[in-house]
Amino acid sequence: MKIVDQAVIVLGRGGLIVYPTETTYGVGVDATNQKAVNKLARYKKRPFGKPYSIAVSDLKMAEKYVNLNQTALNLYQTLLPGPLTIVSMGKHLVANGIESETGTLGIRIPDYQLVLDIIKAFGLPITATSANASYQKRPYKISDILENISDKQRGLIDLIIDVGELPHNEPSTVIDTTLDDPIVLRQGEIKLQDKNEVLSRSEENTQNIGKELLQKYEPYLGKRPIIFALEGPMGAGKTQFTKGVAKALGIKDEIVSPTFNLVLEYPGLVHIDAWRITSAANFNTLEVNKFLSDKSVIAIEWAEKVQDIIRSYHDEAVILWVKIAYLPAQAGGQNNNDRLISWGTV
Amino acid sequence: MTKILAIDTSCDETSAAVTDNLSILSNIIWSQASLHTQYGGVLPSLAQREHKARIDFVIQKALTSAQCLMPNISAVAVTQGPGLAIALEVGISKAKELAIKYHKPLIAVNHIEGHLLSPLANFKFQISNFKFPALGLVISGGHTELIKINKIGDYEILTQTQDDALGEALDKAARMLGLGYPGGAILEKMAKLACLRRQGDPKSYALPLPMAGKEQDNYFSYSGLKTAFYRLVEKEKPLTKEKIYNLAVSFQSTAFRHLIRVSSLTIRSSAYSLVPSASLLVGGGVAANVEVRKRIRKMAKEFGIKALFPNSKKLYGDNAAMIGIAAYFKFQRKEFVKDIASLDRLPRFSISDIGI
Repeated sequence: MKIVDQAVIVLGRGGLIVYPTETTYGVGVDATNQKAVNKLARYKKRPFGKPYSIAVSDLKMAEKYVNLNQTALNLYQTLLPGPLTIVSMGKHLVANGIESETGTLGIRIPDYQLVLDIIKAFGLPITATSANASYQKRPYKISDILENISDKQRGLIDLIIDVGELPHNEPSTVIDTTLDDPIVLRQGEIKLQDKNEVLSRSEENTQNIGKELLQKYEPYLGKRPIIFALEGPMGAGKTQFTKGVAKALGIKDEIVSPTFNLVLEYPGLVHIDAWRITSAANFNTLEVNKFLSDKSVIAIEWAEKVQDIIRSYHDEAVILWVKIAYLPAQAGGQNNNDRLISWGTV
Repeated sequence: MTKILAIDTSCDETSAAVTDNLSILSNIIWSQASLHTQYGGVLPSLAQREHKARIDFVIQKALTSAQCLMPNISAVAVTQGPGLAIALEVGISKAKELAIKYHKPLIAVNHIEGHLLSPLANFKFQISNFKFPALGLVISGGHTELIKINKIGDYEILTQTQDDALGEALDKAARMLGLGYPGGAILEKMAKLACLRRQGDPKSYALPLPMAGKEQDNYFSYSGLKTAFYRLVEKEKPLTKEKIYNLAVSFQSTAFRHLIRVSSLTIRSSAYSLVPSASLLVGGGVAANVEVRKRIRKMAKEFGIKALFPNSKKLYGDNAAMIGIAAYFKFQRKEFVKDIASLDRLPRFSISDIGI
């Protein structure tokens, strides 16, 4: 019997197969079969709550199990099949324990024809997790696996597809596309009231505008929290603006981007990046209420992501919405630095 | 034999390790960016909850993998900062609890010092042969710092970033190319593919070298490059596979050129003379990038110094073993936390403030 047919039969019975990929040996079970997934959990000895990615044969099959946004589509079209696990929002059509607790699901299309043939013939996704038990050596040959597991674990394997030692490629890279979901941005465009506009021609200009705006609101300092809700694409100058605010507050520390840390706290100023924040509850874990009751100045980058939350501070805080937009480069494309900065209340 | 149980929860990763002097006995990292399929649930906003849910498991795993029990541990070490406050809190409370329960000294470690000393893990040479002052370069998602090491435990920041960290800039460039998050590693792959396709001579797009004309400022800065890249990507849309590869290599290459340029200028202009055969210790997630290591080695060679990198992949990103290594030196100097109960997190803890 051909390998593909054999593998399909084993998978159909809820069996567990060890199969080669372009990275390491993987272990596969029918990702829609709860019993098979439970068996996989016993094999992997995985602790609580750790999801598994799945392997599918093509984009069409992936779309049955996850919602693909534009970022995900770009990745599928340019990089798959290949050593990449792409995380999207799942449609909850796989067994429990496959998707993460937040409902996301990681998908692989291995660059390995035999595996694609098996999945195509089987018609359902299989799990795509490396064949070692958790925290054991990366499996590039079958003995790497068998030497590091117990008899009990060995007994759970129903079929091994041994093609010898694989090239020692790195395991797949995991990419999360759910942060780019338009759902996160569903709150729509913000309309500014009492709108003001000014042109900025340089980073220094942008800083000065930040400085002047803070000075304008100085009477509120220490009496009410002042929120600068900053909106604008990547590289527009949100951090530059905050540098200006900090200068006006007499802060000597270098103001750097808060993207990695999410929150950077300076005397009298809190600098937040909301790009990775997806809900009010998450935002509140950043101790924002403490900063509000301290009557701090709060600069929030990617404010449009948490628009509703910011609006809810309306009674206690002075909220100034600041939009920074790129202006089209002038003829010849020489001046990359022109921005339109507008601000107002919401 | 100084066995240290080290804990790091400074950002997304929950990590615990056991080190014995400079040897790593175990280094357990529960991570999103780690190379197994360990995604999910790590939205940073959930960081505190996630760390709390995992920390006992991760510590237990570190102890069993090291074949070690709490009574055999000489000290507990924990990251005090810099990092996300609510995340740091989880590791610090746990470390306090263990130190008090088992009557162990507690060592508070600066996360950047951990990255800086990570090349010394499993180090085969005599530390006593080390020449000072030495240099350090920490390049990660949150930090880009060139450091003068007067001696271990005494540091000066020679220069750092004015805006984005190098790793953050790479992640953001990937984001602009529609490559998801965190995209730095993907960007590296794309850049490699661009080189492969054109026999090492990828098509490059013109991007401005950051801070050109402001060399005397000696700062790292990625905001201008980010802006130029945004404009360039918009102009090149719709993006094809080929364009993505070439844009990736162009961004990465400019970002690295800037890193090397400012580092070289700073080393050259700094007010002390380099000891011949001094070391440059390099740590942080971005140092896992093969291309940047190549360029750093070349720069070190030009200065007649030796670049040292961590000797295992796990030591580049955030991990607790590096905290154990930094703690080992503090253990020797008997720098223990005096009042364990009152140890507080320091979210913006600078490496130059150690010991103050």
